[in-house]
Amino acid sequence: MRSLSAPFLVTAGILIGIAGGIAPGSAAERQPAPKDAYAYIGWPNDGEVVTQRFKVWLGLRNFGVAPSGIVKPNTGHHHLLIDTDLPPLDEPIPNDRKHIHLGAGQTETYLELPPGRHTIQLLMGDADHVPHDPPVMSKRITVIVR
Amino acid sequence: MIVRIAALLLTCAPALAVVAIPATVQAQDAATVQPDTPPKRGQAPKDARAYIIWPPNGAVIDGGKLWVRMGLQNFGVAPAGVRRDNTGHHHLIIDRDLPPLDEPIPNDKNHLHFGGGQTEARIELPPGTHTLQMLIGDADHVPHDPPVTSPKITITVR
Ligand SMILES: [Cu+2]
Ligand SMILES: [Cu+2]
Repeated sequence: MRSLSAPFLVTAGILIGIAGGIAPGSAAERQPAPKDAYAYIGWPNDGEVVTQRFKVWLGLRNFGVAPSGIVKPNTGHHHLLIDTDLPPLDEPIPNDRKHIHLGAGQTETYLELPPGRHTIQLLMGDADHVPHDPPVMSKRITVIVR
Repeated sequence: MIVRIAALLLTCAPALAVVAIPATVQAQDAATVQPDTPPKRGQAPKDARAYIIWPPNGAVIDGGKLWVRMGLQNFGVAPAGVRRDNTGHHHLIIDRDLPPLDEPIPNDKNHLHFGGGQTEARIELPPGTHTLQMLIGDADHVPHDPPVTSPKITITVR
């Protein structure tokens, strides 16, 4: 029994190392969030007709805002997902024109979108841009840009 | 570590959509040495502005329990204790004028601190007329220079 413990510990160490993000391509560790935490889009409303440049209010309940890079329980920074589904929740949120990071702790912003129908959804990310567990996010809304 | 480097690279890439407030990240550490002298006031851009999204000025609230939604323009939210330029945390001043701006905001039932980076406040007020005003404070709860504050609104609870 004793002779088995050393290889077991080595194996456990490798597994912990993988879970901790040492191995390339492994899943990031997700920070916990309270079950009642949620984000919402305070403006515009679902179905709203807006001009090409419009303000977006980022609402957050039972959770706090912190800039990216700040490790603090029950906080995160806002991300706007434009015309896209939720990204994988166990890795950093992509950073491109469909995934806008508000890493300076902003709680509102302006968007400029071409005419047509667009979807917007909010998703909080932690210090390293990884969604929490469970994810703190809003419903996906549709706006019509004229 | 790889995850952290990836995250760092992400923060360096410019956001392609047009945003009014830069979404870039300051490469500044949260932990700096705390001076013994009274904290110096952090700088704020002249166009930084706080405002109460809800309730509107003059609102009549039945029952006295309400959520206050706090808005912030051209500035960011960070929890108390976090030192990063152009950020601060919300304070809600109830039935009082602004406190002195060169010292930490008092912490009592007339001066509520949202040091967890909260942007909404659940409050309960007795029947009557009340005033609400927001004031942003820095890592040490000291207002910025110039102060980032909202207009004072009056609401009635019945
Ligand atoms: Cu991010
Ligand atoms: Cu404070």
